[in-house]
Amino acid sequence: MKILLAEDDFATRKFMAGFLSKYGECDITVDGMEAVDAFMMALEDGEPYDLVCLDIMMPVMDGYQALMGIRNLEKQRNVPDDQAVKVIMTTALNEEKNVKMAFELGCTIYSGKPIDQERFEQAMKKLNLI
Amino acid sequence: MAEDFNTESMLDMYLFENGQLLEQLQETVLEQKDADCFDEDSINEIFRTMHTIKGSSGIMMFDNITAVSHKLEDVFFYLRESHPDNVPHVELVEHVLEVEDFISSEMEKIRNGDPVDGDASNIIADLDKFLNMIKNGGTEETAAAENVHEEPKHFYIAPVATSASRFYKIFIHFFPETEMANVHAYKTVYALKEIAEDILYSPEDILTDEKSGETIIKEGFRILLQAQCTEQEVRDMIGVGYDIEKVEVYECDANQFLLGFDFGDQSAPVSAAPEPPKIDLGDTAAEPEANKAETETKKPEEPKITPGDFVIQSKEPGKQKKLAKDKPKGEKASFISVNVSKMDQLMDLIGELVISESVVLQSSDLKVPGLNLDNFNKAAAQLASISTDLQNVIMSMRMVPLTNTFQKMNRIVFDVSRKLGKDIEFVMVGETTEVDKNIIEHISDPLMHLVRNAVDHGIETNEERVQSGKPDKGKVTLSARTEAGKVWISVEDNGKGLERDKILAKARKQGILEDNKPDAAYSDKEVYQFITLPGFSTNEQVTEYSGRGVGMDVVVQNIQAIGGALEIESNPGYGSIMSLKIPLTLAIIDGIVMEVGTSSFVMETGVIKQFIRVKEEMMIHEPNGDEFVMIRGDCFPVIRLGRWYGLEEYQESVEDGVMLILEVEDRKICLLVDKLVGEQEIVVKPIPSYIKKVRGLSGCTQLGDGSIALILDAPGLVE
Repeated sequence: MKILLAEDDFATRKFMAGFLSKYGECDITVDGMEAVDAFMMALEDGEPYDLVCLDIMMPVMDGYQALMGIRNLEKQRNVPDDQAVKVIMTTALNEEKNVKMAFELGCTIYSGKPIDQERFEQAMKKLNLI
Repeated sequence: MAEDFNTESMLDMYLFENGQLLEQLQETVLEQKDADCFDEDSINEIFRTMHTIKGSSGIMMFDNITAVSHKLEDVFFYLRESHPDNVPHVELVEHVLEVEDFISSEMEKIRNGDPVDGDASNIIADLDKFLNMIKNGGTEETAAAENVHEEPKHFYIAPVATSASRFYKIFIHFFPETEMANVHAYKTVYALKEIAEDILYSPEDILTDEKSGETIIKEGFRILLQAQCTEQEVRDMIGVGYDIEKVEVYECDANQFLLGFDFGDQSAPVSAAPEPPKIDLGDTAAEPEANKAETETKKPEEPKITPGDFVIQSKEPGKQKKLAKDKPKGEKASFISVNVSKMDQLMDLIGELVISESVVLQSSDLKVPGLNLDNFNKAAAQLASISTDLQNVIMSMRMVPLTNTFQKMNRIVFDVSRKLGKDIEFVMVGETTEVDKNIIEHISDPLMHLVRNAVDHGIETNEERVQSGKPDKGKVTLSARTEAGKVWISVEDNGKGLERDKILAKARKQGILEDNKPDAAYSDKEVYQFITLPGFSTNEQVTEYSGRGVGMDVVVQNIQAIGGALEIESNPGYGSIMSLKIPLTLAIIDGIVMEVGTSSFVMETGVIKQFIRVKEEMMIHEPNGDEFVMIRGDCFPVIRLGRWYGLEEYQESVEDGVMLILEVEDRKICLLVDKLVGEQEIVVKPIPSYIKKVRGLSGCTQLGDGSIALILDAPGLVE
């Protein structure tokens, strides 16, 4: 499985990369813009990502903007819904309005930080990612 | 359930919304438990509730809750679509309550952070069987429409609490003579980095900025540390140097760590002293309509968020981030917690304010004839209006309706009566009555006990009732009302009542009675009070619910702790009434001030229906001394207050006095007083304990002119 990670904080990035790499190959970006660029690159190469993991609070572009960017790119290429990349947003923000907006923009899983690893796996299974 | 809903976190919202739905569900179900079947509206409501709970639980990935709601949803879907006949109603009610209990207990686990591990498979299997039974029982004309379930498309994972990481605020003070304090500080930070998961410090530029050394000497060196070690380990790492004068280490929480150094007060130690109990205003705002008008602390317009708000504009060392939308630190919450003692102070002050206001407005200085007081009166009216509003708000802040407490009893009656096989109806009266929050907490347990007693001991078994010709349904009535500063809550049952002789016999056996006093000398009231003695029980057997004799004394203790009393009335063969009489902590009432002789009295305005002057010919005098008056064809008993209380210098003639018509619960009487002085807001103060109880008096107050008036208790007079 190809995974794209966007996380600006070093410690978290190290943790997430370690955690995600057991599910697949993990590419690392450090802000929203880089993440969208990386996503596009993979799309154009014909090897799109299966899973994108976005932090919300990031420099240049935040997680919501990156999510919008990714979904727009997919729409432009007419990627069908069942093949759209699954997006997980990880963040310390836990308020209902944040979660709502994330789901509205097309986020698949919203996970509060610190990440509950068990439930994370459970959710991935439900989405048939693993 | 008093929860904190200070934040609108996803999990809190989930718990709150579904908690409400479940409560509503229980109410609906219990309302209809005695019907033949659920009506259309209820079926729809229950279906929708389970559908909602299933959906949100699915998103949160609480699979057991999702599964069980899913199953119950299926049942009600079938009921809704196919309208089968002969659905075993009581069984269905029990199934719904079973599901509701399961979900509630799982939600409690979520609330406490425990694993959500309940196994619903038995419940689901039962529901399956039930559904199949009603499907097969019905006519198979059309294939029942299948309930379509959509798989959730999104999932939310709640953050897990890290028990391991701890957060510390560290202040290091160096000796004033220390040279290059900044370098010493750097060495400390370097040492801490070994164990730090995250660290930030202030001043920040300690390596290159020479001035930082001065700042450190003057203000101390501050560090925020995230690590998994203990406070002692932190101190050990910092070590003791000849340059360090003092090290302060305070543990704090993640939020404070994330806020960084940017807020004002750093000096208050954050840890440990247990905080005084707080009232969460959040509670009262979460209560239904009854409170809404008064307690709605105007929620600030929820700032809308948009993509782009969370771009990090600048970063400070560590975690402190300035976001595009400039999130205010210490977000404005709609609810705040308030220290109870401050609320008490506030309440006392408002009482004093009311009295002071009266003193000012009735000052004899104003009674100069010919003085034009128009402007003054206008201002006074304004003052009165504001002070009334103030009182209302303050009192409402602490007042909570009894509804929830009463609803809990509903459930208890249902459970216990089912288990004992008795048919019992539960009636609530006056459940919207509001009482001080403090009171609710103290009466919940006693009430439960009294209700259990009523069901267990009071109400007879169905056979016994039939035998004695009583209506086959037992009835337990829970009622509440407020009267002049007190709230009355009573549990009434139509069971077999208390057996005076049995109680007396037991009391004699336990040596409680005086040797010389014969049984007959004890009044019913005294006898009934024996059951509140510790260890007293006339039960031969102890049941699961009661009978050990340890309940009633605890009930009385709890009630006395809030200044209340328990009154017991009983009618053998017909039932008993247990009444809790509890003073409201502060009562300000509108009262009519009147004079009889040299004494002033006040009576609550609401009780007085009319003032009227009567003529002697309207009076009827009975030979035994009772008096009545005919007013417009109705006959009312009369109490002459002066005579009643043995006062002096009061008006003898009815024509010189004023007759008040009082109404208390459909009973009317007339009270003769000398004259009416006026209407005034009064602060109800209890009659001091060194004064013996007098019938008809419920308190006293201080009038505007400084004199004391006694507050008349209408129910006491009416009896």
